[in-house]
Amino acid sequence: MARRTFPRRNNAPSGGTCAPVFARTIKEPGYLQTLRPSRSRGSNELRKIFLQTSIIPSASGSAYLEIPSSSPASKSTLIPPTSSLKITASVQGPKPLPRSVPFSPSLLLTTTVKFAPFATRHRRGYIRDSIERDLGVHLETALRGVIIGERWPKSGVEVVITILEGDEDGWWGDSGNDGSVNRGGWGLLNVLAGCITVASAAITDAGIDCVDVVCGGVAALTRDPAARDKKELVRILDPCPAEHKEIVAACAVGYLASRDEITEIWMKGDVGADPNALVEGATHAAVGSLAVVKEVLLEALQAKFQGPMEGNESGLKRKAQDVEMTG
Amino acid sequence: MPPGGFSRTRNVDYDDDDAYDDEDDYSEEGEGGDGMTEHDKEQMRVGTTRVRQGLGELSEFTSDAQIQEALWHYYYDVDKSVVYLKNKLGTTEPKQEAPKKEKATSRFDQAASVADQKAPTTTGKQTHPQSSWLEESAYRVAYLSPPPISMPTNEAIGDFFWDVPWGNVPLHRLGVITLDTPRYRGGLLGGSSKLAALAAKRRKDREEAEAAATKANSEANAAVAMLDKLTVKSKEPTSNLRGGDTERPSRARYPGRRRSRSRSPPPEAIDEAILKPAVQQPAIVCELPAQRAKASMFASTLCGGSSTAARRPFPTLEVFPAPYTIYKEYDSAKAFASPSPDDIKKRVQGEKLAQSVEKLAVADEPKVKSKNLNVVQEFEKSGLKRMANFVVVGHVDHGKSTLMGRLLYDLKVIDQRSIDKLRKEAENIGKSSFALAWVMDETSEERSRGVTVDIATNYFETDKTRFTILDAPGHKDFIPNMISGASQADFPVLVIDASTNSFESGLKGQTKEHILIARSMGMQHIIVAVNKMDTVSWSKARFDDITKRMTAFLTEASFLEKRITFIPLAGLTGENVVKKIESSAAHWYTGETLLEALERVELPKRNLQKALRLSVADVFRGDMRSPLSISGRIDSGTVQVGDTILALPANETATIKAIEVQDAPVDWAVAGQIPTLHLTDIDPIHLRQGDMVCAPNAPVKLVKAFTSKLLAFEHVLPMPVEVFRSTLNSPGGIRTLSARLNKFTGEIVKKKPRIVKPGEVARVVVQLERELPIEEGMRVVLRERGRTVGAGLMENVA
Repeated sequence: MARRTFPRRNNAPSGGTCAPVFARTIKEPGYLQTLRPSRSRGSNELRKIFLQTSIIPSASGSAYLEIPSSSPASKSTLIPPTSSLKITASVQGPKPLPRSVPFSPSLLLTTTVKFAPFATRHRRGYIRDSIERDLGVHLETALRGVIIGERWPKSGVEVVITILEGDEDGWWGDSGNDGSVNRGGWGLLNVLAGCITVASAAITDAGIDCVDVVCGGVAALTRDPAARDKKELVRILDPCPAEHKEIVAACAVGYLASRDEITEIWMKGDVGADPNALVEGATHAAVGSLAVVKEVLLEALQAKFQGPMEGNESGLKRKAQDVEMTG
Repeated sequence: MPPGGFSRTRNVDYDDDDAYDDEDDYSEEGEGGDGMTEHDKEQMRVGTTRVRQGLGELSEFTSDAQIQEALWHYYYDVDKSVVYLKNKLGTTEPKQEAPKKEKATSRFDQAASVADQKAPTTTGKQTHPQSSWLEESAYRVAYLSPPPISMPTNEAIGDFFWDVPWGNVPLHRLGVITLDTPRYRGGLLGGSSKLAALAAKRRKDREEAEAAATKANSEANAAVAMLDKLTVKSKEPTSNLRGGDTERPSRARYPGRRRSRSRSPPPEAIDEAILKPAVQQPAIVCELPAQRAKASMFASTLCGGSSTAARRPFPTLEVFPAPYTIYKEYDSAKAFASPSPDDIKKRVQGEKLAQSVEKLAVADEPKVKSKNLNVVQEFEKSGLKRMANFVVVGHVDHGKSTLMGRLLYDLKVIDQRSIDKLRKEAENIGKSSFALAWVMDETSEERSRGVTVDIATNYFETDKTRFTILDAPGHKDFIPNMISGASQADFPVLVIDASTNSFESGLKGQTKEHILIARSMGMQHIIVAVNKMDTVSWSKARFDDITKRMTAFLTEASFLEKRITFIPLAGLTGENVVKKIESSAAHWYTGETLLEALERVELPKRNLQKALRLSVADVFRGDMRSPLSISGRIDSGTVQVGDTILALPANETATIKAIEVQDAPVDWAVAGQIPTLHLTDIDPIHLRQGDMVCAPNAPVKLVKAFTSKLLAFEHVLPMPVEVFRSTLNSPGGIRTLSARLNKFTGEIVKKKPRIVKPGEVARVVVQLERELPIEEGMRVVLRERGRTVGAGLMENVA
């Protein structure tokens, strides 16, 4: 990855940051494999999701999404077994377009997806690379059909996503010495699904009219390690790439649950004869995460309306003594 | 009506309706049953007979309409229709007859029943088995409700509402308006062809699966099995009913996906559906929704606070009481009980204040104070040096600018460093000999072209005299600039190139024209600088030759011979400019240098006592303190700071805020100087180059036509000409040729000549296009198509 170095910054090491190698790992070759995380959830069970809206006061809407690692932390090492997805989204607007932009009868949506330089094991640049632009286009596709843009002519809205920690493409122990995991970019699908979900929450927080709350979900086909002939494929929802040795195919969707519509679909790998099953799985995962989104949005709404009401009540308590003014 | 136009309009209308397809479908219901396809009708007919068979003895209580209605609602499912009708008739058998009688009497009801019967046929088209799979999702519930209660007959309306009180309608009597959600029309949102293809594939898969519906269950994976368990109650009756269903194959489900299957509920289930018809159920129910995670360490830091409930309450603005309110005196003191101090004062002063305010007046004093100097006395007292303005004229490339540059350089007006810099720059573009000329030519255009374009002004000073150099352009295209420069000068310095051919070509060209213009401006002295003598190795013969020929020419142009001074010099090397000639070849010349000649020149008398006349040569915007400035030569009179002046032809007054002469601020300026006046109280649009500035008490008259004594340089006929007066130039024309005059005595030789030949003097009437400030004694130059045709002296207003 070509990267510019900035003279006024404390530039990070140009290579990847690899997990520390302990003496024990080298002495006992089997030890490393004991650290390998494995999926403890059921195949249809999703990871827990943390979501919070209105985290950026200056933005008209914002949200923070975190999917913490579901694997239990190892007792013998400090390295976390898997990464945990952390994404912030902020919505700027709707605001009037600058004069230079030609007339637009509907809301112009701009999506910007950026990995923080420290978001992945392999360090990212400060300038958006092709992967980030690609994610931005995917996200825009997912959101464009959801927003009712006709209600804001001559305006633009900007959805800015910052990925603070992305899902890795595989387990750190499988990576080479340079710390890079070049295995198909399975983590990107999780990142995209997270981006869709968090952007949707932020848009709702901004109060932009939508036809529905769009949610992202991922499903994957993996080889079952328990099977005898290693050929059998298992469909799992919400895969965590670090927990699986081999992922055959994966699919991320943006799904409108109450309308039963898919706005965005991204499929990767050898899907085999039945791609629909994979899509179905992804929509299920999306509906699963929608439950959290709904709950959080409802709570945020309640908090929004309760606060001012309490404030009003206390404001009524004060009574002023009138002074008669003469002369 | 033209058919084409009509059809076009209609097409447009239909296009507009596209957006409201859904509404269209509903409105069509009233139109009648022609929407029913052949297939539907056949099915309906077969179905009716079969239902009647199924109903057995009950069939005689049932009307065809009822059967068809039921069939329609169950998609021609005979068994279900039978069950439904049996249930209905079985429970309401006795009642069934009573309303029937009633209906028979009412025409309205007949019509309504006909409508009821027909209504489904159109909708039947939409819910044709071939239609989209999505249509059988949740909304189906609404369609499954039995036919709506028909409107009561008109006499029954009162009965219908008889027990309803006015206001406070009980909740159970309130109507519920339910909105039908817009029907989904197949294509996926966003219109991506990939997604559309996927949807099509799904549909196809489903249809295939329909054929093997029973198989699907056994093959379903664990997740589906679990799903089936959850929905077992709603499923079972459906599958039972489906047993006899041959016309409509049962629909298969996606593995792992479950839709709300309330499409064909048993009759009891319908009642439930009626109670809450508008509940829209999601197409997918996730059996394991994601759990909410607790905020991690990072998240709690970022979002501040672990949960929304534990957030600190909104900050409420407490009102702090002023500190003095705690004292007892605060409550007892009646601060506003007594009259205010203002009131007391007003009562004392009475009405005086209002009167005194009325007396106040803002005096409209001029902003600039005049010192009221007697400028003439001041001028004499100051013992100022002689002031001389001279214009450098001559043919293009004869070295005017270079000579002036040399003069300034040798007099140390320009320092060595600047010259070195200019030399370097000149060498860079390969014109090293132009370095000295660039002292005068400052704009990039002038430098790159190597010719002077506009008048350049510079100053130097000797022991006796302060000089102002006006470097005029030699090129014939810039004669107007030269005229404007010459009008500001006291005498000309004619520069002549001594080298072979150059002198001769100049004599034919601008050397001649410049001399004529200078003379017609009233200049009497002339210094002829024979330049580039080093190129002819200071040949005396050449100098004498030039002297002879120029003297002849100049005397012809009515210069007196004693007022002509010839000086051989070399501008590039600087010989005989300030310093004497060092070259041995020039030992024959013992006369004065150029500088000495300049100092010796007799200057015309200055008209200090006359009224102010100033020709505006330039109008410019200075800095913030002097927003509008003009410069130009004072032809006569004096000015001082604070004077009011009148600008013509705009006829606007202005006040002089400051005066600068030779870049130094002064209090006054006199005729002969070229000051810069900083003005106030005037809009810049009233001033332009060529305007006349004069004293307001002695203004110049604006004239449109005048008679003039004209010295012709070319053949003059009544013709359009350009009139140049000092810096002003204006289109006009020679109206009439009044008389030809004797050149020396001024007597009339011939009245009304047809033509005036070059060199002759005539009295002509000049017509101007617009009124201009011109008065007696002013000199004008007439030019036509780039040639100077004559010079004139204004005699009187025509």
